[in-house]
Amino acid sequence: MTTEHVRPNYILIWVYLFVLTVIEVGAAFLSHIPKHWLIIILVILAVVKAVMVAMYFMHLKFERWRLRLIFMIPIPLALILVLAVITEKIW
Amino acid sequence: MTSVAHAPHAANAHHGPTSFWRKYIFSTDHKIIGIQFLFVSLFFLLLGGLLAMQIRWQLGFPNTPMPLGTLLPEAMTNGGVILPEYYIQLVTMHGTFMVFFAIMPLLMGVYANFLIPLKIGTHDMAFPRLNMWSFWLAFTAGLIMLAGFFVPDGAARAGWTMYAPLSARPDLSGATYGQLLWCISIVVLGLSSVLGSVNYITTVINHRAPGMTWFRMPLSIWAIFITAILAVLALPVLQGAAIMLLFDQTIGTHFFDPIAGGQALLWQHLFWFFGHPEVYILILPAMGMVSDIIANGSRKPIFGYHSMVFAIVGIAFLGWIVWGHHMFMSGMNPTLGSTFMVSTLLISVPSAIKVFNWLGTMWRGNLRFTVPMLNAVAFVSMFTIGGLSGVFMAATPVDMHIHDTYFIVAHLHYVLFGGSLFALFAAIPYWYPKMFGRMMSEAIGKWHFWLTFVTYNLVFFPMHILGMNGEMRRLYDPTQYDFLKGLQPLREFISIAAFALFAVQLLFVFNFLWSLKRGKKAELNPWQDNGLEWSLPSPAPHGNWERAPNVYRGPYEFSAPEAGNADFLPQHVKLPTDRDPAAATAPASAH
Amino acid sequence: MTHATATATMMNPPAPAEPGSGVYSNKLGMWVFLASDVMFFTALIGSYIILRFGMTDPWAAPGAVLNVPLTAFNTFLLICSSVSMVKAYAAIADGKKYFLRAVPGKMLRDGGLKFWMLVTIICGAMFVGVQVFEYTKLVGHGFTPAGFREGSTLAEHAATDAVRYGATTAGLYGSSFFTMTGFHGFHVTCGVVSMLYLYFTKVLPEKYSAQDYRGIETIGLYWHFVDLVWIILFTIVYLI
Repeated sequence: MTTEHVRPNYILIWVYLFVLTVIEVGAAFLSHIPKHWLIIILVILAVVKAVMVAMYFMHLKFERWRLRLIFMIPIPLALILVLAVITEKIW
Repeated sequence: MTSVAHAPHAANAHHGPTSFWRKYIFSTDHKIIGIQFLFVSLFFLLLGGLLAMQIRWQLGFPNTPMPLGTLLPEAMTNGGVILPEYYIQLVTMHGTFMVFFAIMPLLMGVYANFLIPLKIGTHDMAFPRLNMWSFWLAFTAGLIMLAGFFVPDGAARAGWTMYAPLSARPDLSGATYGQLLWCISIVVLGLSSVLGSVNYITTVINHRAPGMTWFRMPLSIWAIFITAILAVLALPVLQGAAIMLLFDQTIGTHFFDPIAGGQALLWQHLFWFFGHPEVYILILPAMGMVSDIIANGSRKPIFGYHSMVFAIVGIAFLGWIVWGHHMFMSGMNPTLGSTFMVSTLLISVPSAIKVFNWLGTMWRGNLRFTVPMLNAVAFVSMFTIGGLSGVFMAATPVDMHIHDTYFIVAHLHYVLFGGSLFALFAAIPYWYPKMFGRMMSEAIGKWHFWLTFVTYNLVFFPMHILGMNGEMRRLYDPTQYDFLKGLQPLREFISIAAFALFAVQLLFVFNFLWSLKRGKKAELNPWQDNGLEWSLPSPAPHGNWERAPNVYRGPYEFSAPEAGNADFLPQHVKLPTDRDPAAATAPASAH
Repeated sequence: MTHATATATMMNPPAPAEPGSGVYSNKLGMWVFLASDVMFFTALIGSYIILRFGMTDPWAAPGAVLNVPLTAFNTFLLICSSVSMVKAYAAIADGKKYFLRAVPGKMLRDGGLKFWMLVTIICGAMFVGVQVFEYTKLVGHGFTPAGFREGSTLAEHAATDAVRYGATTAGLYGSSFFTMTGFHGFHVTCGVVSMLYLYFTKVLPEKYSAQDYRGIETIGLYWHFVDLVWIILFTIVYLI
């Protein structure tokens, strides 16, 4: 049983990661962006980079959904813990 | 009698280790590792019991010298009278040893290891060497925890829940090295649990024998599998919290120190985010094994097999969003508290479904009250009581009155002793023949069961009354309060019943050890059960099967018409109407 | 670029067995372990987020205490090591067990498993080295897990500019910084040590082949995970 495996262009992904990192560092030091927006932008950029590493370097994009599920299950748990405790503190 | 077309024969060509050290000490055989966990965990169970006896002495006979008390060092007792500093160590370490080193390893370390490969039809775990590491890490963690009693200033003492800031401040608690050892031990144990669970999960997903589809797996394996998922996700959170606590005490961090901006409540959130899944880790495998034993003892299929599976999954899933019910009195946001109340009330539903299904299984069954069956049925009734008291606590306004009282102590002992431990008293004699090749004595087992059942209820039921009257947990001397003074006769009664309960356990210890050499030699399938493990010799050989058996049906075909004269039909027996599973035609791979 | 991989016997799930995850057990086990590691970092990083959110006082500005350019370079290094790791994986999947081989018509030689693994190990070790260097510099300036050391340069700066240096939140800043990056560094070190072990026991003796390179894929997954955690950490610890 052979599988057709489309191999991603790893160097291209590396370029994307490099560019995104430069944007992140740049944005962090552009002092005229309000702090709230900055945090959102930086977190989104970080998540995009992380997802790229997971999808392309760890090949999750090419695995079946069951394997992706294993890695995804902790994420809602992490969110529940952090969000619940933050809302509790803000009260 | 049914014709057996293909009998899976025991492995004899498998080359096992021959030296004593590789065979019994540094073994990678899941069965040996399970037995290693069994001996070590039973030791810690007894130790936890001994600590409880001392607690009960102080509560039943306060300020009276304890028998043999003068043997203990001056830091612990004064002329034989238990000191308050020692009392809180007893309370803390009783909980710690029982939860982490007795019940959890007995359910998972022993039965996950022993049963999974046998019941799903494979040679061993997916990662046998990692399995060996899991045991030795757990053993090491146990030694580290035990060392706490022998270091200067004694053992940790902020309760097994180790709340900050008391636990983070040696100047407040009095415990220095003992507290560090607790944290380190928990981190090591956490690693053992995580590695073990990785093994269990991988083995169940990838190594099921041909024909052993998901919905033909016994409920014991379903429960253990779901529990392993809980463990793999929950233990690391505790490890992180324990590390943060360790750093607060040693390198001067301030995670839980309000003065420097930390949050004491953060510990509670982290601990209980782990802690609630943990209590489901402590009950789900018990429920699974009880299901197998009750179906066997009723000679009937389990009632509602699919709903049992979904109930296990539902309990595990909901278990992640109820942790705040341990914190209703912590001063947390009341809105958040209400959400926890709702989710906690919801989680009683799948548990109740399971109770009704066990009753449905027994209803009009051909009941065989063997020792395992007696203990399994006691599990159902005692767990129900524990569950009902849990419903009281789920309601926040009620919990305000009973939080941190003996009502909680009663609840947790009903689910952990009445639940998990009775399930273990059922499981241990049940699988003993497959482990050791001999049967435990039924006569001693029955005496042990009845005496335990009576004394256990005499100990823990009155605690509901103490709790409703406001007696607080972990309290050294309740007689110092006027409103509790009058309950001293009840406390004394509980203590005497507790001494009797502990003494009765010696029957079990004797039965266990004596039967190793002098028990009746076990046949292949003494309980006439359907699981794959019963097709192997007792004890099961290294490697289990030469080639994985084929599975043709689920595990609960009792009193099935196809079975002919017998009232059971094992999973691996091929009837003329059965077809070989598709996966059986694949060539055996080297791994 | 399409690459048809001949499904080798060892790179398959165990048989005979019921269909399960569809991948071989080492890989499944590593994914499950990584899920547990996510929960571990959740405890540490989640606590940091919770504690910081709970502070009304200002946190130190990015770059005030920590050396962002150095760490940005370190981030680049770790990402490079992730690329070299995946190149190593691709190389052995194609059966390239060698170090370097000349390719006719091309200037650059083609790297095999031995080359790319070595690059990964070196980059990983350099990451740890830079982080150790960073730690010594920080402690030298007075940044400790307990906050700013009395009498240190940072303490003096914080006395003059309390907002930029987060004087009142320094204790938590130090606590969370050293714990999170420290444990990440520990994970990187474990990865480097494991790769070194595999390099000498399996890669150099050419025990991996296109038919069985499970160990490379498995350690690769761990290594990418470590990189992934750092991507998150770098952003929220150094840049926010």
